[in-house]
Amino acid sequence: MNSVHHGTGCYVSFDTSLCDGCTRCVKGCPTKALRVRHGKVVHMQSACIGCGNCLRICHTGAVRAATTDLSHLKKSRISVALVTPILYAQFPGVLPRDILKGLKRLGFHHTVDMSYFFEMFQCATEEFVRENREVGKAPWPLISPVCPVVMRLIQTRFPSLIPHIHPIMRPVAIMAKQVTRILSKHYGVNEGFISMYYINPCPTKKGDDPKTPDQSFTNGGPYAMGICDIYTQLAKEVEHVRSLDDIPMTFSSYEFEQCTSGDGLLWGMVGGEIVASHIEKSLSVSGIDETVSMLEKIEMGLFRDIEYIELRACTEGCIGGALTAIDKYLAKSACQRMINLLGTGKRLNRDRINRLYEKEWFFSRRTEQGGLVSEGFAGHSFTIEEMRKIDGLVQLINGRDCAACGAPDCRTFAEDVIRGDASADDCLVLRARGLTVAQVTEYMNR
Amino acid sequence: MNRLRRTYPVRHGDFIHAGEASIHVKNTLKSLSYCPDLVRRVAICGYEAEMNLVMHGGDGVLTVVIAADEIRLEVADTGPGIENTELAMQEGYSTARDEYREMGFGAGMGLPNMKRNSDEITVDSSPGQGTAVTMVFSVGGRCP
Ligand SMILES: Nc1ncnc2c1ncn2[C@@H]1O[C@H](COP(=O)(O)OP(=O)(O)OP(=O)(O)O)[C@@H](O)[C@H]1O
Ligand SMILES: [Mg+2]
Repeated sequence: MNSVHHGTGCYVSFDTSLCDGCTRCVKGCPTKALRVRHGKVVHMQSACIGCGNCLRICHTGAVRAATTDLSHLKKSRISVALVTPILYAQFPGVLPRDILKGLKRLGFHHTVDMSYFFEMFQCATEEFVRENREVGKAPWPLISPVCPVVMRLIQTRFPSLIPHIHPIMRPVAIMAKQVTRILSKHYGVNEGFISMYYINPCPTKKGDDPKTPDQSFTNGGPYAMGICDIYTQLAKEVEHVRSLDDIPMTFSSYEFEQCTSGDGLLWGMVGGEIVASHIEKSLSVSGIDETVSMLEKIEMGLFRDIEYIELRACTEGCIGGALTAIDKYLAKSACQRMINLLGTGKRLNRDRINRLYEKEWFFSRRTEQGGLVSEGFAGHSFTIEEMRKIDGLVQLINGRDCAACGAPDCRTFAEDVIRGDASADDCLVLRARGLTVAQVTEYMNR
Repeated sequence: MNRLRRTYPVRHGDFIHAGEASIHVKNTLKSLSYCPDLVRRVAICGYEAEMNLVMHGGDGVLTVVIAADEIRLEVADTGPGIENTELAMQEGYSTARDEYREMGFGAGMGLPNMKRNSDEITVDSSPGQGTAVTMVFSVGGRCP
């Protein structure tokens, strides 16, 4: 089964037997990582940032996220579900605790809510901004490290902005670090005995290929499970839980195990990261096109007067993730209602967080080797000579980005031709005008 | 003659699309592997000049000529022109209207910024004759 899916070890894979070559995903890919060749999709993994647009667009089911399924639980000795509030938003009207109980019935030994760790992240972030505001030394604006798609976008297309990435560990990494430590102590076992499963709204992990661990986690980090992959089964269990009077929570001895908060729920939505924080000069942006446009402007030296920018690749934020199960606006309304119910406000012991902060506990190792370091500009690079030929070919085609050639637009097609990955013959416009490859080549070399 | 020349029309008063030409130039330079610092300087200068055209000038064109040893950027418009170019180059000098100041412009830092970030700058303008700002960036000079 997996063999027809080429591209394992990346965020998504493609089943070419299901692909009908429609080019819709090609046109929808923000990094131009897809082409159709010989009627089938071709995925250029090095350009993929895992945004999941192709998953949303494909109507034949040929695209699949690199996630782990529930059967994997059987292999783990101590399994932990790392739960984001986005999961709760998929069940309007259901209490978070019933969803966590449902997860236990699916076979997880522990369920850990992320709200607590959002708060830790937020405290550390406020501290960092405050400290740097006083001495005026941070490279403003700081860019939120939370959205992994944005991180890869910066790494591959905007490496010059890497110094702007806020150096605090992502909440999920803080969570993994804490949970591993506490549970291994509780059970008296090696950390390797604990398997964590991040219930994910987006195709954020490069499969479970041990050769490509997510650098923001210790020991390779959790496995990724898509919300939509477990949704039907979980919904059944949740239904069951709710039909009973009460199933007591077992193992609820950890303070964070079931402490959902209004502030935590805010995080699923645009602006949630900053609305509850004490950073005045901040902005939040969502949607991949808007995010790219914002990064372009920051790279132009704009927004120096802003301290913190929250960027989310998905429209409306994480509730709009490609692996969510219900409509993002329904999910948003569910979040809003639940926030009303739970209220907002911080609960953590600030002094404790500040002590951890002083010990540099929160700082990610991203600047270290193997972390998020510049790979240079990962877009294709050309010589001036080649660029002139590309400009010439685009002019000659004078097309309308029809994508019939299998590239998303005429310029990308021209780049492919110059690189030798496509032939001038693939262009319908040139063919319709009766131009031969030799004639096209001659024109370009003029 | 190994040069790449591109022109981009820029419209006076069009704040929605203002800056797009400079972003395009920046991305071209990135895919031509120029050093990040040079790319940043060209982009900043292009943006400032574009904004001046959009705010103070008239319709015009941004032209970039890219070569291995130097990058030349020209932003020319057919607007009202500048009375005293020497004065305009001074930090803090601005004739920006209040509505623009409210948008965060009008600090009188655009032209000085262009001067600082380019290796050579010429402002060719007189009242009624439009304005042409030409900047040259030498490759290798300030790049590692
Ligand atoms: N293209 C132009 N056409 C007409 N006048 C111009 C043009 N460019 C600059 N000027 C004049 O020069 C002055 C100084 O320009 P400069 O870019 O340094 O500052 P600014 O545009 O007023 O403010 P800032 O760039 O800091 O937002 C402007 O206020 C304007 O009077
Ligand atoms: Mg100006």
